[in-house]
Amino acid sequence: MIKINNLSKIFRTDLIETHALRQINLQVNEGEFAALTGPSGSGKSTLLNVLGTLESFDEGDYLLDGRSVKGLSDRELSALRNEKIGFIFQGFNLIKDFSLFDNIELPLRYRGFSSAERKRRVEHALETVGLAARRDYHPSQLSGGQQQRVAIARAIAGEPRILLADEPTGNLDSLMARQVMELLEKINQQGCTILMVTHDPDQARRANRHIQIVDGQLNDATLYEPLIAAGA
Amino acid sequence: MEAIIHNLKLSWFSIKRAPLPYALTLLILSLGLGTFFSNATLYYWMNRDPIPEKSQTLFMARINSLPGDCTDCLEPSRVMSYMDMQKMSGSGITSAEAAMFSSDAYAKTLENQQATPAKVALRITQRDFFALFNVPFLYGEAWPDNKARMEVVISKNTAVKFFGRIDVVGQDMLLDDQLFKVIGVLDDWSMLPRLYDVNGRRSAEPTEDIYMPLETAYDLAIQSNTQNSFTDVDWDGNIATYPHMARTNFANMLQFWVQLDGPEKIQQYQQFLKNMVADEKAAGRHPRPEGNRLDNILDVQKAMRATNDQLDAFALVASLFLLVCVVNASHLSLNRYMANQYEFSLRRALGASRWQLQGQILADVFVSSALAFVAALLFARLGLWTINALLPGTRALASWDWQMLAVMAVFVSLVSYLVTLYPALKTSFSPLNQQLKQ
Repeated sequence: MIKINNLSKIFRTDLIETHALRQINLQVNEGEFAALTGPSGSGKSTLLNVLGTLESFDEGDYLLDGRSVKGLSDRELSALRNEKIGFIFQGFNLIKDFSLFDNIELPLRYRGFSSAERKRRVEHALETVGLAARRDYHPSQLSGGQQQRVAIARAIAGEPRILLADEPTGNLDSLMARQVMELLEKINQQGCTILMVTHDPDQARRANRHIQIVDGQLNDATLYEPLIAAGA
Repeated sequence: MEAIIHNLKLSWFSIKRAPLPYALTLLILSLGLGTFFSNATLYYWMNRDPIPEKSQTLFMARINSLPGDCTDCLEPSRVMSYMDMQKMSGSGITSAEAAMFSSDAYAKTLENQQATPAKVALRITQRDFFALFNVPFLYGEAWPDNKARMEVVISKNTAVKFFGRIDVVGQDMLLDDQLFKVIGVLDDWSMLPRLYDVNGRRSAEPTEDIYMPLETAYDLAIQSNTQNSFTDVDWDGNIATYPHMARTNFANMLQFWVQLDGPEKIQQYQQFLKNMVADEKAAGRHPRPEGNRLDNILDVQKAMRATNDQLDAFALVASLFLLVCVVNASHLSLNRYMANQYEFSLRRALGASRWQLQGQILADVFVSSALAFVAALLFARLGLWTINALLPGTRALASWDWQMLAVMAVFVSLVSYLVTLYPALKTSFSPLNQQLKQ
């Protein structure tokens, strides 16, 4: 589903070059729930951004569903993000002026769905995250955990092929973090591929695959072995 | 439609988030636009062709007929004597022709003789004036010929002012205690700029209140209130002899307009003037070098524009002020957009293309344009009011027609888009990940 070959990303300023990703090779298969861990500054968020086409890369290739994203136009990349990728951010990134319904509906508008289809999808997504009764609430009226569930609802409303979650529980207390993780597991069990950046080893263990990144390199030979199955 | 409403809603949210910076942006933009529109309004009226259907066929005819030997005096005077006008008339070449000058009088009606007379602007002219300049009649008609008669044509506003109604044909009125009968009432009519009157920079003034036959004015010793040139012929000062004196070469105060339909007629009339001037010179008159001129409406407009260079200076200042305002408004707009950049990045991350973001930017431009348009018109009105107060001669130039309003609306939209363009581009092309990480 995701395949990257010799992918490198360099951040340049006038004075220095920072090699954020170095010659990375990675394959994520359909239905996987992969945790991406590593120390701060190791490049995990950069990798996630590259996979989400929020960031370009300098060398190598990235194939999503067998199609290279290299050289795609802005319109094609936007459509790719909209149709195939769902994002979950650490800071939720909800629009505070919008109701929950409007927040979840937003990416569906860019997809060109009819009003009725958008309504059906938003209501279904709200039900999935357990917030159907609060569709007209605004984000500020919700707890952090609930806001993250709204963000998840927004991410899954378009039925994406893959969810990219960047420390989705980083701003939550342990109870709410557990609820969010349970929700992600449930979504994964329904067939959605998830790649999650996390600092939390416990959460990484709950994923069925653990990918480590250090200094912009995937340096663990056991990358492709499901750690849970191995009893780690 | 749904997308438009959605984008307008987003625009409204954006304004609500930071109303004060938004109001300041609008204020600066509107101030610049308002100042520009004040000036542009004057500029438009002063530079428009007031009678485009005849701008190539109406001519002010001039000859270098003033007395006094002056070999360097090549430019003919704007005014001429009654005798010269008579010789330039009746050529059979023109479609219409009329001599004229402006004056004023105090008027009142017979019905209200106790009232204080009100000052009125007079156009002393001949029958063809109305045909020459396409002046519409509401009631009655022009004089049947150019003979003296105690009959006047009045404007609609004058009829309302003095009689309280508009159908006043057949009514009497007093002009400087002389009794006149109203034989025609004009429909709403204005010629801006009033190019038929080239004297005294009065082209910005409204058209006259009352139109009086030329011969009658001479009989009543009415003189031009803008330009008189008297020769040094002896006159005893007796007003009774003035009509006769004025009809000689004594007074030069007439402007003479002709309509010449086509190049052939123009050439014929030029030849006619040439022959006439040659005859005059042979008779010992017109000592100055020959200087026959046929200036059409556009020539007259150009000449009058050249004497009004203050307007160009105002235009330059107003344009520079607008430029400063646009730069400042754009800077403020950039700050607003940068504050909202997170939302733009989020939309892009959720799948909006840059093109789709244009929808919201256009909605922003639409909202800003609408508000700026209203505010700019208010500022422009204030500017015009100030200019009119300082320069009363510009009062007739302060109105807007639908065409002007439409052009102004388009201009406001373009400027608003310009103000928004750089901030919008900067926001649309900023890195997505940095904003979303915050």
